[in-house]
Amino acid sequence: MNAGRMLFISSAFFSITISVGYWFVAHEILGTFMLGVMAFGFTFVAGYMLVAEREADLWGDQPDATMLEAAGQVIGTYTIRSPLPFWTGVAIASLLLGLVISPMIAVLALIALVALGAAFIIQSR
Amino acid sequence: MSALAEPETHPAPYHDLLSWITTTDHKRIGILYLVTSLLYFAVAGSLSLVIRTQLARPDNHIVSANTYAQLFTLHGTAMIFLFVAPFAFGLANFLIPLQIGAPDMAFPRLNATSYWMFLFGGLIVFAGAGANGGAAAAGWSSYAPLSEIKVGTGIGQDLWIVGVFMVSIATILTSINFVTTVFIYRAPGMTMWRIPIFTWEMVATSLLVFMAFPSLAAALILLFVDRHFGGHAFDPAYGGNAVLWDHLFWFFGHPEVYVMILPYFGVISEIIPVFSRKPIFGYLGLVLAAFAIAGLSMGVWAHHMFTTGAVNNPFFSFVSFLIAVPTGVKFFNWIATMWRGQIRFATPMLFSIGFLLNFLLGGVTGVMVASPPLDYQAHDSYFVIAHFHYTLGGGSLFAIFAAMFFWWPKMFGVKLNERLGAWCFWLLFIGFNVTFFPMHLMGIDGMPRRVFTYASTGPLPDLNLIATAGSYTMLAGVILFAWNVLVSGLHHAPVGDDPWEANSLEWATSSPPPEHNFTKLPPIRSERPVWDLRHASAARNTAP
Repeated sequence: MNAGRMLFISSAFFSITISVGYWFVAHEILGTFMLGVMAFGFTFVAGYMLVAEREADLWGDQPDATMLEAAGQVIGTYTIRSPLPFWTGVAIASLLLGLVISPMIAVLALIALVALGAAFIIQSR
Repeated sequence: MSALAEPETHPAPYHDLLSWITTTDHKRIGILYLVTSLLYFAVAGSLSLVIRTQLARPDNHIVSANTYAQLFTLHGTAMIFLFVAPFAFGLANFLIPLQIGAPDMAFPRLNATSYWMFLFGGLIVFAGAGANGGAAAAGWSSYAPLSEIKVGTGIGQDLWIVGVFMVSIATILTSINFVTTVFIYRAPGMTMWRIPIFTWEMVATSLLVFMAFPSLAAALILLFVDRHFGGHAFDPAYGGNAVLWDHLFWFFGHPEVYVMILPYFGVISEIIPVFSRKPIFGYLGLVLAAFAIAGLSMGVWAHHMFTTGAVNNPFFSFVSFLIAVPTGVKFFNWIATMWRGQIRFATPMLFSIGFLLNFLLGGVTGVMVASPPLDYQAHDSYFVIAHFHYTLGGGSLFAIFAAMFFWWPKMFGVKLNERLGAWCFWLLFIGFNVTFFPMHLMGIDGMPRRVFTYASTGPLPDLNLIATAGSYTMLAGVILFAWNVLVSGLHHAPVGDDPWEANSLEWATSSPPPEHNFTKLPPIRSERPVWDLRHASAARNTAP
């Protein structure tokens, strides 16, 4: 089995086991809930990988694959430069600072974030 | 090796400021992370020197009690949230795509966004120092309801909350990037069981981040709501629960310890085989031990709460003891790798050996305080300060220096001076142990943490003076490192692509690498593709 899939399945088993074990040992609700959330997260990803990614066929998983065989595969598009991340950082910082200093700054930052989100979408096309 | 490295494109010049602001290249983002975290380290280190100067003698009045509380809060926050963990993320940003043969991270713009959020989050935390009422003063753990108290119109604690929140979200985003990149973007032949140990450790670290950091973010939101919108989540006077903060914070806080150490286990696992001229002993064991540590670390959060009486001490004690087993496996593997190797005592190896010695002591005292009866005695004393500085200072910090000396040639194309490096190591190693070993004794003698003065009788004055002298010795080591960077940069004697004769894929490209990392990749048939290539070439050259 693919090592990545194994990683999430074993993590799901471990986290379910420790959640149940903790409840029986400690009878403590908050800790059990937090461990339960962790178990749910791992189980969800493990389930997704078992069901939706079953047919995933990556060159990186094939021990004898060569560069020549993999040539031409499309693995993504790369943006070498973009000013958007910097301005997104500025906007998020302004939003959070606005919550502390002045709600008006937060509102303006929120508008800027919506505009930046749109710019990201346009740049991705 | 040079036959492999034929970069056709060159990165934009490093002096072009705009290219740094707009970059989405993982290598540049990695360098930005490294430089930023080192600057935060310089500030946090300076704060620690003020702390040590204040404590050099009893009844010193260099700073007031309130200022002292702000100093240790900012020192702890900066070291943990802004230096040790982010340095590892910077290193991972630079190395992961190179080590797995990918052209970049899976989400380059998200990667850059994470960096800017980290930078601004850190600046917001420090901005509290200039705010009316001063910076946050409730410690890096910001225990509620102490952190809910509003002092005048001071916003230092609020800035701490939003700054740390921003850094924690940035950490989650960058971890998503790491895991996606490793799972999807490996080069042909780079199966999961061939990826370098450092990359494996970053996968384990990222999974820890996914599990632990949302708890911190939730706790911070609740604290902010309590302070600004009339919530009472942590205020027992209104039906809230102060232990709720402890649970939420330490559910993040203890895994965070491993977020700060697992990447450096990876660094050590990369360096020791190269300078022992042997393959790593027990690759599979090291990987499984990393995940065992990560998994177990999610079940030990309440060992920080033994003395509250509100948690099941035997459960958390037992799981805490269990962590010693996979950690011991790692130690055994590192020592077995060195065993009968042809060891070269270059600077990265010196720092790696320093890591092993210091971390061993931190690990042993960790096992001690995992025992509730002992923890009741040591809790909130300088013994605990000594313990965690031996793991994160003696461990992570030494691995950070090892990493800088080891990967500096790959990042900048020049090697740091080895003689200055050795001096830097000895100053830091001696300084570190002179600073922090006496703190075990201070703790045993009853000195509590977070106090700005102490009794002028007994052994405490002498022990504190020794510790302060050690901290200034460490300062000399750090200054020497900065001098080394300056001298090596000015002399700019280029080194080859693989100056250490290393094993993993990043050494197969030019130094520094071209914009999309590789123009050619060697065949990947083991976890040491560059070693395979070098020895295949040697075999060809010596064939009759």
